Amino acid sequence: MATLRKLAVPILFLVTMLASLTLGRFGAYLVHSVAIAAIGALGLNLLTGFCGQISFAQGALLGVGAYTAGNLGNAGWGIWAIVGAGVASAMTSLAIGLPALRLRGLYYAIATLAAQFILEYLFKILEPITNGISGLLIQPLKLFGRPVVGDQALAVLSLALLLAAYSFLRWLMKTNVGRAMLIVRENELVAKGMGIDVARTKIWAFVTSGFITGVAGAMIGFTTRLANPEAFQLSLSVDQVAMIIVGGQGTWAGPFLGAAFVVLLPEAIQRTGEAFDIARLLFALRDMAFGLLIILFLLFEPRGLSALLRRLVRWVSSLLPSTRTSVLTVKSHPSPPGDPNE
Amino acid sequence: MNRTVRSALLAALLCIASPAIAADTINVCVWGTITGPDALVNGMSYGTHDYFTYLNQNKGGIAGFKVNSLLLDGRYKLDEELKIYRRCVDQENAVFINGWSTGAAKALRETVTQDGVPFISETFSSEVVDPVKYPYVFVAGPTYEQQMLVGLRAAKAAGAKKVVLMHGDNEYGRGPVTVVRKSGEIEKMGLELVDAIEFKYDAQDLTAQLLRVKSKKPDVIYIQSSTPQTLVILRDAAKVGLPPTKFIGNMYNISPTIPQQLGAAAEGFRAIQIYADYGADIPAMKEILTFKAKNEVAKQDVYYMKGWLEGKVMAAGIENAIKKNGGKVPADLKAFRKSIRDETEALKNLDVGGITPPLTFANHQGSTQARMAKVKNGHYVSVGSWIDAR
Repeated sequence: MATLRKLAVPILFLVTMLASLTLGRFGAYLVHSVAIAAIGALGLNLLTGFCGQISFAQGALLGVGAYTAGNLGNAGWGIWAIVGAGVASAMTSLAIGLPALRLRGLYYAIATLAAQFILEYLFKILEPITNGISGLLIQPLKLFGRPVVGDQALAVLSLALLLAAYSFLRWLMKTNVGRAMLIVRENELVAKGMGIDVARTKIWAFVTSGFITGVAGAMIGFTTRLANPEAFQLSLSVDQVAMIIVGGQGTWAGPFLGAAFVVLLPEAIQRTGEAFDIARLLFALRDMAFGLLIILFLLFEPRGLSALLRRLVRWVSSLLPSTRTSVLTVKSHPSPPGDPNE
Repeated sequence: MNRTVRSALLAALLCIASPAIAADTINVCVWGTITGPDALVNGMSYGTHDYFTYLNQNKGGIAGFKVNSLLLDGRYKLDEELKIYRRCVDQENAVFINGWSTGAAKALRETVTQDGVPFISETFSSEVVDPVKYPYVFVAGPTYEQQMLVGLRAAKAAGAKKVVLMHGDNEYGRGPVTVVRKSGEIEKMGLELVDAIEFKYDAQDLTAQLLRVKSKKPDVIYIQSSTPQTLVILRDAAKVGLPPTKFIGNMYNISPTIPQQLGAAAEGFRAIQIYADYGADIPAMKEILTFKAKNEVAKQDVYYMKGWLEGKVMAAGIENAIKKNGGKVPADLKAFRKSIRDETEALKNLDVGGITPPLTFANHQGSTQARMAKVKNGHYVSVGSWIDAR
């Protein structure tokens, strides 16, 4: 059973990858949009959900990744452009995070907000690197000397990167560094009392989260083929924060579910409007519906979609006689909110 | 493998390589900023969509084929627009696409060319107009740079000497200003550029910037921005004592919202006019009124006229492609799209019902002519004759 559970995630990814190859361009576009958003959300989830550092600079960090990958890709770095983007974002994240060694909670969140605005401004004025307001046109990503231009290929690549990021983070959270992050999130004083180097733990979180975010940014660059300052504004940071809130921060399923929800909800509303011939009415209501759903989640299920999913699984399990015992066992030992083992 | 199986496989491969389309309808896609920061000028998208409805209701569609026009909301967000583009090409099998922003047109220009889909954009950016490099991309009028030159030439003709440029801090604002400054055209006209001021695109107060403008004592101030920013500029110009007669805006500043909201503070403000205003005594307006008798017209302004014109251009390209195919919709979608592109490019002296002078699309722009319009008694009135910006 345990082996099956371990294999479930890679099998799920493999099936999705194969399915992406059979989808049309639009379907494949949705797959890579969700996958890339999920990579970014995984990065943010590490920092916020597992280490307790609230960040509003995620949009700008994605931008750093996109611009770096664009420049390196245009210079012929191929797949290494994605690695370079990760490194650049990791360094930027570290620079943003250094004040967090002195700041906590809301004060750190405000510092990241300032960083978001500073980076937005830099995207506009660092013309030799960013091409300013016009934006940087990005050549297709080259893999083994061949350009990756099709949405299906980009979907497979994005899913592979998502699997790599997920696997790495699962491993990280089993190490002492990962466990230290959870304790820092709960209480820094307790962490210090337990002999944890809080500063070093946070630095690990900033660097790792930044690297993963940079990879997501690189893929945004290679899929849109244009990096411009308007694409990496605060609204993108808010979307990313919304993903981990709606999905369930500090959980493994949360970034996936949140990314799918935030990316696909506008499309779902659009299609519903078309089906009932009220698309024009729903144009205006779409953003409102999005905001309303987030409020509803915060009110009625602050642990997000992952908690809902878990409840659904339990309910389905309870219908099966053979699994009742295990369900009762789970119920008698509920996991605390934000437990990464959930 | 026997011959039947091989033939079936070959047929299947051909179907995958070049999808067929239903022979009784023609699919077109229109996306705009139905909701979003540029929604004030989204009459352009409604205009195009409504023109196809008008054709279905009054002309039996195009060459006897009903048009299935899908109107979508790109929200002025690049990712949303890129998603919609894929839906239009992949799922809707659109034979002609009407897109929106400069950013999306730039991001998509090479993809559009690879896909071979005729694409007309609301942007006037010179960076997407190139019949050789981007043979499937069309726009519907003079570029922003050409509009700027028309405005400055008119100012020069009226005796102006010193000019200030004001623009937003985005691609739409900064891009054309940079191109014109680098070209040296302002100096060639005999004008002196005394300052160029950039402001935040969503700025709500520009008093400080306008005080700086005033200190330069310009004869003319050209605004490269959209209607909401021009409202702020003219409001704050009145505060610092700069008369609206000194200001010229591009075609996105000919919105009736400006005189409606500003009243006296807009009297004498000039903007670039490319299209006839809504309500003008022209044949196209009669069509719109026929449409209005049965349907709602969401936006009754000059941008709606632009959209109506774009619908006419798209329909003419589609109609000629059908004619060329013996009055039938070609079953091969790729070939049909290619034929529409060729026929759109071949449009010569196309009568657009008086919205603009007749259009020739060899340059992928249609018209390069514009004239000045001035706010007089709360309404825009045309002043002077058409100026060719080439």
